[in-house]
Amino acid sequence: MAPNAAVRTADPALPAAHAVPAGGWSDAAVLAATAAVADGPLSAAATRIDHGEYPLPILSALGEAGALGVHLDRHGGRFGLAISAMEAASRACGATGFLMWAHDVCGLYLEQSGNPALSGALLDDHVAGRSFGGTALSNPMKAFSGIEPMLLRARPVPGGYRVTGTLPWVSHIGQGQYCGAIAGVERADGTVSHEIMFLLRCDEPAELRPCPQFSGMEGTSTWSLRLKDYLVATDDLIADPARPFVGRIRGAFILLQTGMALGVAQGSIDAMLAVEDQLGHVNQFLDDRPADLAAELAELRAAIQRLALTPYEGSKDYLLDVLDARAQGAEFALRAAQSSLLHQGARGYLASAAPQRRVREAHFVAIVTPALKHLRWEMARLSRDVLPAEGVPA
Amino acid sequence: MSRPEPTDGLGPWLQFLCRACGLIYDEAEGDPDGGLPPGTRFADIPDDWQCPVCGVTKSDFEPYAGRRPNVPGAAEPAPRPRKAGIVIVGAGIAGWSVAEAIRAHDADVPLTLVTACAGDAYHKPELSIALGRGLTPERLRREAGADKAARLGVRLMADTFAIGLDPARRRLRTTRGTLAYAHLVLAQGAAPVVPAALAPELCWRINSLTAWSALHRALKLESRICVVGAGMVGCEIAEDLARAGHAVTLLDLAPLPLPGLLPAPAGARLAAGLAGAGIRFMGGVRVAGLARRPDGTLALATDAGTLDADHVISAIGLATESRLARGAGLAFDRGIVVDGATLATSAPHVHALGDCISIAGAPCRFIEPIARQAEVIAHAVLGLPHADYVHSAPVIRLKTRARPVEMHGTPAPRAPWQIVQDTPDRLAMEQRQDGRLIARLAL
Repeated sequence: MAPNAAVRTADPALPAAHAVPAGGWSDAAVLAATAAVADGPLSAAATRIDHGEYPLPILSALGEAGALGVHLDRHGGRFGLAISAMEAASRACGATGFLMWAHDVCGLYLEQSGNPALSGALLDDHVAGRSFGGTALSNPMKAFSGIEPMLLRARPVPGGYRVTGTLPWVSHIGQGQYCGAIAGVERADGTVSHEIMFLLRCDEPAELRPCPQFSGMEGTSTWSLRLKDYLVATDDLIADPARPFVGRIRGAFILLQTGMALGVAQGSIDAMLAVEDQLGHVNQFLDDRPADLAAELAELRAAIQRLALTPYEGSKDYLLDVLDARAQGAEFALRAAQSSLLHQGARGYLASAAPQRRVREAHFVAIVTPALKHLRWEMARLSRDVLPAEGVPA
Repeated sequence: MSRPEPTDGLGPWLQFLCRACGLIYDEAEGDPDGGLPPGTRFADIPDDWQCPVCGVTKSDFEPYAGRRPNVPGAAEPAPRPRKAGIVIVGAGIAGWSVAEAIRAHDADVPLTLVTACAGDAYHKPELSIALGRGLTPERLRREAGADKAARLGVRLMADTFAIGLDPARRRLRTTRGTLAYAHLVLAQGAAPVVPAALAPELCWRINSLTAWSALHRALKLESRICVVGAGMVGCEIAEDLARAGHAVTLLDLAPLPLPGLLPAPAGARLAAGLAGAGIRFMGGVRVAGLARRPDGTLALATDAGTLDADHVISAIGLATESRLARGAGLAFDRGIVVDGATLATSAPHVHALGDCISIAGAPCRFIEPIARQAEVIAHAVLGLPHADYVHSAPVIRLKTRARPVEMHGTPAPRAPWQIVQDTPDRLAMEQRQDGRLIARLAL
C-alpha cells in the first residue's frame, strides 16, 4: 500500500521525476498557468462546454500546467494547490472544474492503489493530461453510507473477476478512457462477501450508452455504462477489499470537490461586480451583496485550505469538518449564483448570460454525489452514538 | 389520466423502483414509449427493456414500497419561524429548562430546539436508580418531546445534529439545514468518555434515556455485568444493577471507589458498603481490551486477568464535545467557557449552561444549578433585568442505598481530612483550611 501519512508537506521540491517540465511545478507557476488557461481559452469556451463540447484540449493544457497532479504524493501532496487550481478553472466554467475533480480523484485512486501496473506510465500520462479518466463512485459511495444498493456485481474467476451491471451516468469517460469503479463480490449463494475497486477501461466490451439530455454541463462526456461479464484482471485492481481503501481516501475525495464550489461562487461574485458601475445604485438594495459574499467566501476558502493540509486524517471530527465544508460550499454557491442573477437583472436572464449557466452549475455542485442531502445524512450518521445493541458499523 | 383496472386476477397493480435513477415503473401506466402498453405486469417485461430515464435493465429494478423517513421523532418539524428567534441546542434538562424559563416570560418569541434525540423529557439522575426500582422507559419518560414542544410552542428539530456555528453571522448549521438566530443557547451536555481499550460498539455508556432504554431491553435475568469506573455514576449504576439481581463487578484504576472525591477511610467504608450490596469491587485494575466471543459473551481483558461478562458498562467520566465550540472560535477549557455571572460564552449572542460549560476552568455536572442558570439566560436573551448567576458547589449525594454519601463544600484535592465521628453506623469527616471549614462529608 502507498504511504498514508496524516500530514502532507506542501514542499514542491519533493522528488517529482514524472512528467514535470524542467522549470518544475512550483505553486506560483501552477496557479499562473492555470489562470492563463481559465482566463483565455476556457472563458471563451464556457458556453460551448455547457452545451456539449467536451474540452479535452483544455484539460491537456491544465495537465501540462500541473493542475491535474499536484495533489499526488509524487508531486508534493499539495491538496490546497489542487483545490485552488480547480477553483480558478471553475470560476470560468463549472463543468471543467467538475472534469478536473473527476480526473484528480482518478489519479488519486491510481497512485494510492500501490499497484505498480497502475501507478507507472499510465499515471504519468494521466497527470500530464495525455490520457483521461474519471470516477464511477457515485453509486458505491451512497451504497457504503446505506443510501442505496450497489449496482455492479463481481464474481471471482481465475486471474481476476467478472463484473456485471449498469451505472446510469458516469462522467469524463469515452473510448480510450477509463474510470475507477467498485463492485460487490458475490458468493455462490448470491450474498456479497466484500467489494473490489478497479480501473474500468471504457473500450469494448464495456458499453457506453448516451444519457438523456441534462439541463446544463453537457460537455462532461457523461454516459450510461453497461458491463456484462467484464473481465477485471488482477493488474487493474485498485483495492481488494475496497472498503478500507475508500475509508482512507474519502476525506480527500470529498474535500477536492470544494474547488468547484469556491470557483462557481467566485465567478458569481465577479458577475455582480461587473455590473456595479451601471447598476450599483439599485443593487445596493439587494441581500447578499458582493462584499458580504466575498468576506464569507474568504472565510470558507481559508477553512478549506486548512483542511487540505491533512487530507488523509481519519478522525471523526476531521471527516465532519470536511463534510461540513463541502455542504457549506454547496449552499454558498447556490446563494452566490442566485444573487449574481439578481444583481445582473435582465442581462443575467439572457439565455447566453454567465449567471444563467452558474445557477445550473451551482445546483450541480449541490446535487452531485455527495449531494447536500447525502452530506447531511452522512454527518448525522457519523454523529450518532454507537451502542452495543444497535451498533452501526463505522 | 384514467388507469385501467387489473383484470388478470393477479391483484392490484404494483410499482417497481429503478435502483439506479429512482424512476418508478407503475404496472398500470406501463411504458408506452418503450413499447409497454398500460397494464403490463413487471413479470411480462422483456429482459432487454430499458429504464426510460437511465437505461438500466429490468434486473436493476426492485419492488417499491416507499422510503419515507421512519425514524421515530423525526417527523417534519413545524414550519420555520419568519424571523430569527432563539435557538437552543440540546433537549436534556438544561435545554428544556431554558425553553420553559423563556416561555414563562414571553409567549411569542420564536423558539427552536435542536436535539440529537427525540427530545423526550426525563430526569437524568433517575437513570442510575431505575433498574432496582423496576422502572421502565415509559415510566421514566415524563413527557414526550413532541408533546412538550407543542405545549410550550417550541419548534422541535428531533434527530438533528448541530454541525457548525458562525457567530459573526448568527447562523447555526445543522443536519436539517442552517438556522438563523437572534440568540443561541448551547445546552449540548457532556458525553461519556470511552477508554481507548474498549470498543464503543461493545460497551454501554448510560448517559441518556435512549442508552438506558437500550440496556434495559438487552438485560436478561441475572446477567454478569462489569462496570468500568467507580466514580459517582459507576457506583450508583453498580448498586442499582446488583439490586436488580445481576452479578456486578466494579473496577477502577484507583484502589478505592470515588477516588477523586473521598479520602481513604471514607472510600474504604464505601467499598465495604458496596461489598455488602453484593458487588465485587476490584481496585487498582486497568482494562486492556474487550472482545465478543463466538458464544456472544464478552471477554474483558485487564491487568488482573480476563473477566467474563454478558455486558460491560463504561463509566469513567464525561467530557464536553468540543468540535462545535472550537470550530466557531469559542473559548473552551474542559467545557465551553462562560462568564460566571452572565453565562455568556466568548461569542456575542451565545450563552451556554449545564454539563457543557466550564466556569473558571471547572465543569460542573450537577442538576441543582441548572434551573438558576436557565433563569439568568432567559432574562438575558429577552432583555429583562435579573440578578447575576452565583456559582456555588452543590451538595453531592451519592445515591447508593447501601451506603449513601453526602458531601458539602469544595474539598481541596491534597488537603488532609479529619475524622470527626467514626462509629459502625456513621463516618463523618471534614476538611479545614486556616481553621475555616471548607468541606465535610458523611456516610
